[in-house]
Amino acid sequence: MTAFNDATGLADWVSRTRAGLTEGRFPARAFNDVDVHALEQERLFAKAWCFLAHESEIPSPGDYVTRKIGNNNLIVARDEHGVIHANLNMCRHRGNVMCKSEMGNASHFRCSYHGWTYKNSGELVGVPYMKEGYEGRLKRKDWGLVAVRVDTYEGLVFGCLDPEGPSLAEYLGGFQFYLDLYLKHGLGGVEVHGPPDHWVADTDWKICAENFAGDGYHTPVAHQWGFHLGYFPSSGTTHSQGWAASIPGKGHGIGLGHGPGYPAFSGFPDQVVAGMKEAMSPEQVAVFSQIRTAVGTVFPNLSFLMQPFSLVPGDPGVRFVTMRLYHPAGPGRMEMYSWCLVPKDAPEDYKAEAYRAYTLAFGQAGTFEQDDFENWTKVTASAGSGLVRDLDFPYIMGMESEPVPEFPGPGHVVRPYVNDTNFRNMWSRWGDYLAGEA
Amino acid sequence: MGAVDCDTVAAVTEFLYREALALDERRFRDWLALLTDDIRYEVPVRVTRESLADWELSPTSRIFDDDRDTLEVRIQRLETDFSWAEQPPSRTRHFVTNVLADPGEGPDEFRVSSNCFIYRSRGDDPTPSFYSVARKDVVRRTADGWRLARRWAVFDQSLINAHNLSIFV
Ligand code: FES
Ligand SMILES: [Fe+2]
Repeated sequence: MTAFNDATGLADWVSRTRAGLTEGRFPARAFNDVDVHALEQERLFAKAWCFLAHESEIPSPGDYVTRKIGNNNLIVARDEHGVIHANLNMCRHRGNVMCKSEMGNASHFRCSYHGWTYKNSGELVGVPYMKEGYEGRLKRKDWGLVAVRVDTYEGLVFGCLDPEGPSLAEYLGGFQFYLDLYLKHGLGGVEVHGPPDHWVADTDWKICAENFAGDGYHTPVAHQWGFHLGYFPSSGTTHSQGWAASIPGKGHGIGLGHGPGYPAFSGFPDQVVAGMKEAMSPEQVAVFSQIRTAVGTVFPNLSFLMQPFSLVPGDPGVRFVTMRLYHPAGPGRMEMYSWCLVPKDAPEDYKAEAYRAYTLAFGQAGTFEQDDFENWTKVTASAGSGLVRDLDFPYIMGMESEPVPEFPGPGHVVRPYVNDTNFRNMWSRWGDYLAGEA
Repeated sequence: MGAVDCDTVAAVTEFLYREALALDERRFRDWLALLTDDIRYEVPVRVTRESLADWELSPTSRIFDDDRDTLEVRIQRLETDFSWAEQPPSRTRHFVTNVLADPGEGPDEFRVSSNCFIYRSRGDDPTPSFYSVARKDVVRRTADGWRLARRWAVFDQSLINAHNLSIFV
């Protein structure tokens, strides 16, 4: 694919893309393009609130994980007072990488090049030959690690490279109502079952983010084997029932699949259901008790899925929650992180069972994930084709759909579950960022 | 020399070769037949850690965590027309080396460690995936021949460079 001739060419394309969305079109080219990738780095990942870690990954003082926002490598650490910091994983002296491991525990980080030492909060505390070499000209407080804004919601730690801009609460804009479905499994909330599966794929992050923003449409075909072996009591037709909810102007979306005949909160142990009823509002309980599959994306690249799944077809399902981050690693390429979240206060045997259900279905060897990735790598490859330059995809499902009256959740909620409304909202927000208007 | 006699080591090694051949020839039913009913098939997640860290293989996270029933599900899935991840199928070659057998829990069980290098080619993609894997198996002698009772395999990579793992290790 040839590059856009210049910045004006790219800007024109962005405005044509935004105009096309209002008519239900989105360009294939967006899913695998060098210039679009670069623009996303500059205007989207540099400004949006991006997911970093779950608090339970760094429970104790000194615990840290290394994560990325765009092309920036960050240390996400809990300091000695329990406060979570995100700092650029780069020594301020000559730029060496401070932490080369994915996780660990440290009160201080000492650079392996010239020995500058920082507290896990990012503060510079040690400079070798400070007196002799710098003769009082170096002020330690001016050379701490580069800090990034951090905020949390229900255990989710987000970072924002933009020191200005909205708060996390404002950014989430009401989507918290739906996130609670994955996070408020009792008053203790949820925890990660362990470190994430981590792999790379020739896939554009947007394809996955879109799929998880509520692509109920693909399930009966992409995951047909599950229906075939009897994993789903619903058929391909009933699978489409439910709602698509999105937060206009924010980009977040969730698909709420509702299977007829599912008992309320089926697949959760009674204790967890009781905990959910305590932790959630009556409105949330009213909506969520009916949900079979919930698949949602926090714009831009954090997703969740919850569904009951059994180890053997026909056995009663076990509910599991997976959380995933689609980290853009280059045009048409990404690093995938996949976690399983379990209710903190749940019985250990349920946590283990839910985790086993998750591994059979998701993660790099998961039977659902395998097929998704096969499809997503092919979509990405197609999007890099020269002929695709001026080709749009249809995003016209549910163009005319009216909001469901009296739905207790916030945002724009339409029926059925199979719908492009969430995706139009997502790509419209993406367009705002790429045009520099967000 | 180890505590297990040469004939047994040779028999166990041949068993691992035949098991690998069944996978590479995609005779998944034959492969299942080489597993005991109480098979445990585990692949822990590896995490890049400092040298002094207490673990590098996650005590709780697994890429595979299967028993006989779930391996049966994986194979039933491959037998449908809709296992898209393996349409067309991966071409694999398992190179099994460094086989060492030690006495196991009973007279008929052996703890067998091996290295396994897996070449995986997909479609007409000229770039294959390579996986270097360490395995610690339990191999059992039964009236019907040798059987795999436990496979514990770990990848030498922490960030795995393939879009999925729709093969067996
Ligand atoms: S680069 Fe870190 S001390 Fe010099
Ligand atoms: Fe899927």
